[in-house]
Amino acid sequence: MHAVVCVKQVPEQNSVKITPDKKVDASGINPIINLFDEYAIEEALQWAEKSNGQVTVISLGSDDATDSLKKALAMGANEAVLISDAALADVGAQGAAKVVAAAIKKLGNVDIVFCGKQSTDDETGQFGPALARFLGWPQLTYVFKVHELTASSIVVDRALEDTLETVESSLPVVVTAVKDLNEPRYPSLLKIRKVSKQPIPTWGLSDVGLSVGDLGGTIKISDRVPPPPRPSGEMISGDVQTQVKALVQKLVESQVL
Amino acid sequence: MIDWTANYGFFLNEEHAMLRKTVRDFAEKEVAPYIQEWDRKGASHDAGMAEHMIPVIKRMGELGFLGVCIPQKYGGAGFDYLGLAVVCEELERVDTTLRVILSVHTGLNSLAVFQWGNEEQKQKYLVPQAKGEKIAAYCLTEPNAGTDVAGMQSTAVLEGDHYVLNGEKTWISLSDLADHFLVVAYTDKGKKQRGMTAFIVERSFEGVETTPIHGKLGVRAGNTGSVVFKNVRVPVANRLGDEGEGFKIAMTALDNGRYTVASGATGLIQAALEASLKYSKERETFGVPIGNHQLVKRMLSHMILNLETSRMLCYRAGWLKNQGIRNTRETTLAKWHATVESFNAANDAIQIHGAYGFSDEYPVERYLRNSRGAVIYEGTRELQELLQADFALEERSYKALRCELPAYDEAAWNE
Repeated sequence: MHAVVCVKQVPEQNSVKITPDKKVDASGINPIINLFDEYAIEEALQWAEKSNGQVTVISLGSDDATDSLKKALAMGANEAVLISDAALADVGAQGAAKVVAAAIKKLGNVDIVFCGKQSTDDETGQFGPALARFLGWPQLTYVFKVHELTASSIVVDRALEDTLETVESSLPVVVTAVKDLNEPRYPSLLKIRKVSKQPIPTWGLSDVGLSVGDLGGTIKISDRVPPPPRPSGEMISGDVQTQVKALVQKLVESQVL
Repeated sequence: MIDWTANYGFFLNEEHAMLRKTVRDFAEKEVAPYIQEWDRKGASHDAGMAEHMIPVIKRMGELGFLGVCIPQKYGGAGFDYLGLAVVCEELERVDTTLRVILSVHTGLNSLAVFQWGNEEQKQKYLVPQAKGEKIAAYCLTEPNAGTDVAGMQSTAVLEGDHYVLNGEKTWISLSDLADHFLVVAYTDKGKKQRGMTAFIVERSFEGVETTPIHGKLGVRAGNTGSVVFKNVRVPVANRLGDEGEGFKIAMTALDNGRYTVASGATGLIQAALEASLKYSKERETFGVPIGNHQLVKRMLSHMILNLETSRMLCYRAGWLKNQGIRNTRETTLAKWHATVESFNAANDAIQIHGAYGFSDEYPVERYLRNSRGAVIYEGTRELQELLQADFALEERSYKALRCELPAYDEAAWNE
């Protein structure tokens, strides 16, 4: 089995600050692997280990996205590819999916693609479905359990808004992972030592057979508004009974209760 | 938010950064949410040991932390000695208990076996210790002998192919769960320090008994106790080094143990600073966040100064270890500065938190209690001060050792 995992490097949520001129303050950003992609990596690794298969991680982003790819390699992935091109700076989810689909076709012999259900920065949730569309493969979104994965089929549980459903699909397939899928492992210390010096191949747009005209619309951010500062809390003093009484009164007053 | 670990590229590389992230992830996910409860419960009883102490050590072993700087051919991860500092910083940033495990298991015991042990001893003891399959402790202090090591009373008498070991060691971290003890005892008391010999003693040897110490000020989530040896028959093959080398082995072990303590204390300063910065932005007095008040700023600034100086002193000591250069002076300077300033940082962190800092609802009172012990153990503050002056006055110098701590060699560590 050859599994591909799509990994996006995103800013850790509490590390993002917006400058007065409405730009993102890059100096304070702590880059991490998108939370949901970590579950995708873990699931791919578990099934690859069972079938003596192969896991390739792909990221589309700037050169520093190699940090996330190296983490995935240290977790146990076999290969990594960075797709980086100046023309992709403002690409949207669908354009990114088109480029990654082309990269997956270039890799060839891919049986399954795992990605997170959405990224914690843009939060569109479009990448996985769009990728399946561009590949022409079935898509299994919001997967919280993979029951069975054979050379030709997969059985999963999907968590929908008001329903849990069990679905079977043929391969190849695109699977998007939700939070409860598994418990992602830590990178192995031995593998950290190996991958830290490992060069990661970088593909540009032309390497996957595309040009700027193939990307469709790009995203321009017209405004950024930082979330309003949290008002300072109110401490309720006194013994427990007094505190509880005051707390309940405040909850009633604010119509929470 | 400033990354306090950034801009140390003259010592650290990409590997260290990945290592730091991994250890921080572990400590924040698997320990931080529970540490207040563990600290309240303690580990001087069976329940505390079973519920958190044994599982957390097992986990650290599985993740490779316990053998981080041991060559891969001896079961370790093959990082350099700076990697050991990074792990200690990140562990003590969450709780001192975690760093103490590295100090005794890796710094004091495993590195001593690596430095002084013969190949058979390395295979038998170092390999399972580096893999975390066996846990190791270090037994030097006695009820009446701490800094005054020569005042120890433990003895080992050679009888055929065994030594008969008798004595009591105390303030031994991990005493109740260690499988292997590095024990120093007199084989010839008349020769004083030159009559001391080191032994590797297994818990399974008949006559080894351990009891926990109750009522500690700090490091309550961790296990500390006494170890009594009653007519314990220790095979000659378990003697570490030659007869009479015990004091040298103990002191070189402390060069590594103190390095882990200093690095951990650096992590504790960072924890105190991070907690203080957060609170200084949240808490308002006189209509402004308390971080706006100049005397609060001064406390924060002192923490920053001492965090950065401690970190640089530790990394210099680690760099010297990597080069295979003796570093007692540099390591003790780092240990003295970092531990004293970790106590001061925790103390100021409580001050910044006001009355809330006096409660264990916030972590800073735990930082203060945890920091205090390191100003005493593995060489008191006063001993470290004397050593600095002794070196400067040329009253102390390095003498060649039969076995030096091997310099870091990337190719050899990866074999």
